[in-house]
Amino acid sequence: MRIDFRMPALGADMESGTLTQWLKKPGERVRRGDAVAVVETTKGLIDIEAFDDGVLEELVAQPGATVPVGAVLARIASDSASAVPAGLPAAPERPPAPTSPPSASPAVPSTAAAPGAVASRRRISPAARRRAHELSIDLASVAGRGPEGLVRLEDVERLAEPALQKPQRTGMRATIGAAMARSKREIPHYYLAHSVDFSAARDWLSGFNASVPVDERLIDGVLLIKAVARAVSEIEGFNGHFLDGQFQRSEAVHVGAAIALRGGGLVAPALLDANHKDVKTLMREFSDLVTRVRGGHMRSSELASATITVTNLGSEAVELLFPVINPPQVAIVGAGAIAERPWVRDGVLCVRPALTLTLAGDHRVTDGRAGSRFLRRIGELLADPAKL
Amino acid sequence: MENKEIADRLLALLTDVAPDIDPATVVPELRLSDQFDFDSMDTLHFAIAISREFGIDVAERDYAQLASLAGACGYVQSKLAARG
Repeated sequence: MRIDFRMPALGADMESGTLTQWLKKPGERVRRGDAVAVVETTKGLIDIEAFDDGVLEELVAQPGATVPVGAVLARIASDSASAVPAGLPAAPERPPAPTSPPSASPAVPSTAAAPGAVASRRRISPAARRRAHELSIDLASVAGRGPEGLVRLEDVERLAEPALQKPQRTGMRATIGAAMARSKREIPHYYLAHSVDFSAARDWLSGFNASVPVDERLIDGVLLIKAVARAVSEIEGFNGHFLDGQFQRSEAVHVGAAIALRGGGLVAPALLDANHKDVKTLMREFSDLVTRVRGGHMRSSELASATITVTNLGSEAVELLFPVINPPQVAIVGAGAIAERPWVRDGVLCVRPALTLTLAGDHRVTDGRAGSRFLRRIGELLADPAKL
Repeated sequence: MENKEIADRLLALLTDVAPDIDPATVVPELRLSDQFDFDSMDTLHFAIAISREFGIDVAERDYAQLASLAGACGYVQSKLAARG
């Protein structure tokens, strides 16, 4: 059957995206999970993936066009009779299988029918792209002088020295503002905090990291993600989306990891099926995700599918944060800095590396008692890290 | 290896690890976390890159010495010197 490949909603408040590039040409076979197009949003460049197998029949939108969410980008002749419309956000239960990162320059030739519509991907750093946009500079006119022709910030600035201004992430800031305002307006948040002794996790991590090469080491944050994924699959009411006036629980656990962007802004793409992956696999995927987010190459399935979010302020931050739920999700877990604190254990005052976990929950779905069980369960799992 | 060469190679590694950093703005003495919001993932990626580039083992307990470019430079020098 013939299905429409549409501009997906890559976040609660996205209204449109700019088609930057086609990665496939008409007549080419696409498989579920293949990146078909690159779309620029306020969150950066996103690879839009196909949601079914088929053949790309027709490109409807042209690069450069700003396309509203839900509008047709292309048409795909699907192999399946019961195809899911392509380009719609993944149902939480059925994301495309994660694929290997797209190569930096897939050899996709231009077509005569749509000149320039399909071009080899030019490497442009996110900072350069942003600055070029701010300064209204056509990136095609910028010579990349970085490795393999990478267009860097300085290449753009060299071209625009008289017009230089301080960069501002106004678009992303507006998107975050809109999503968080909606969250605070619509979601009756409640907040809980629970401090846990992180020494078992620390000791286990130190031992593990000492036993493997540097490129196989783990970081604290990945243990937290795994613990949250396990706990949320055991305790009802925190994993899923609140849509059409009701909570829709998700069987699959896709943990959104809040990733800060240098210079401001953040995005929270998902680690898919995090409860079923071991910590080493999660670490590889998390590392890849952070690299791609900061390098400007997220995938649509990662942006649209998180069923719960974890936000970790990092080792140099404060001890406690009160996160805001990312709609349509119904819970977010926050982690402050892991720091040495006075701790009472077996009646003895000692010093321990401690971590304060917080939960923002949605009162339309759960209340503090369930939230307390959820946070405590995360703490229990972190106390026995070898079993994560 | 000359200090200048180590510093140049470290700066190149830094911008490989974090391509969204403008190398011209790096102040060697300042902490990368303060200048560029470096986090634990960045530090790990930097440690991996240093380990590969210079062929040295960067222990996890040594990460604190990679907190600034100048610190990393001193660390690599001492590791290379110890290797002889």
